[in-house]
Amino acid sequence: MISLTVIWFLQDFIQVFLMGFFIVPDIFLMSLLFVALLPGTIKEKQVLLIWVAFAGGIIWDFRWTNLPGLTAAINAGLVSLSCYTWRKLPAQGRTVVLFAFILTASILFSGLAHFVLWTVPSQVAFRQILVQQLLGVPLVVIFSLIYWKASDRNV
Amino acid sequence: MNILDREMKPWLHGIVAVLFGFCLLWAMITFPKMHNTLVDYVNKILYYPEKPAIELRNIIKYSSNWVLERSTLQDRVSKLELANRSMAAQLLNASIKPISPVEGMVTAKITLRYPEDWWQGFRVDKGSKDGIKEGAAVTSEGFLIGRVMRVYSSYAWIQMITSSSFLIAAAVDETRDLGVINGDDKGNLTLLYVPEERGLKKGMGVSTSLMGRHVPPGIPIGRIIESKESKDGFLPVRIEAGAHLTQLYSVEVYTGGEYKE
Repeated sequence: MISLTVIWFLQDFIQVFLMGFFIVPDIFLMSLLFVALLPGTIKEKQVLLIWVAFAGGIIWDFRWTNLPGLTAAINAGLVSLSCYTWRKLPAQGRTVVLFAFILTASILFSGLAHFVLWTVPSQVAFRQILVQQLLGVPLVVIFSLIYWKASDRNV
Repeated sequence: MNILDREMKPWLHGIVAVLFGFCLLWAMITFPKMHNTLVDYVNKILYYPEKPAIELRNIIKYSSNWVLERSTLQDRVSKLELANRSMAAQLLNASIKPISPVEGMVTAKITLRYPEDWWQGFRVDKGSKDGIKEGAAVTSEGFLIGRVMRVYSSYAWIQMITSSSFLIAAAVDETRDLGVINGDDKGNLTLLYVPEERGLKKGMGVSTSLMGRHVPPGIPIGRIIESKESKDGFLPVRIEAGAHLTQLYSVEVYTGGEYKE
């Protein structure tokens, strides 16, 4: 949990630093999904992670979006949905590619939901969301590589 | 045991969290006072861990702007010095004793500006302990950009001139016509209540007039761009703000004497 708190602050730090240029990719959400979908993560820990996602999202909302509850609901919903999907799959199907797909779909959904519900839809807002998503691509690759290494160790 | 097992199901917690999130969103929209208090509280806590990022950002920003702004500022200083000398000479000729300036200024950094309230307001890192008072004028590059709306001990919220609820008396520099400046929440400014026969021209300057307690007269606001359609004998005039309202990083807040209504 300490590492997730550090990641939240890191995301906040980067957002403060780059305020006005672009919206920082959701590193916190990616980290939550990473921990939640690791082969060794038990159900109890996943439940805890859902509430961590909620708590992190709510503080993010108070700080950045001014719509308290929006990011919290999106984060918690995405983590629980990912956990549910992951658990429904047979162990052989839980591959790195699928992990990368879930990560991509989650940040894409989160970005679009924020674009629709938070910003005043405009070209500038769309460009900012687009840059956020594009910056998320290398992070998805990095997280997938780490996941690949971590799941190798767990086999 | 079955109930306990169900209680530990992630999807169940997910649904509860999502519902709770949306209930909270509804509550915050319904009770804006509570919302503002919580936003301020969270931002107050986060101010300290974020301070290094803000400082680092400002260092980079200021150092990159320094070279570009230096020549412009030198030009402005020279022009102001010339104007000052000429005014001092005129005062001397008219046998009026010049008044020494009493008002002070505090430079404050912008720490929060919500995208959905982009043209309405922002928060700065200086508050009542720095001498900031409610209603005080806020400027950037010498141009009025707003006034202090709420003051707390270490920070304050600024209402921008582009906010639709912002109204301030202003005068056209060349003709001394009085009007009221009003925003539209979209970044546009309008000078209201100017009689249509006055024939204001594009490029004329607009500045504050002696009407507010904390807003000194003569602070430039911007320039006239064009006149809109006449309404009830008055001609709303579109104003271009003098300050770069989209590139605000720090502002100056007046902390000086009070001005009579």
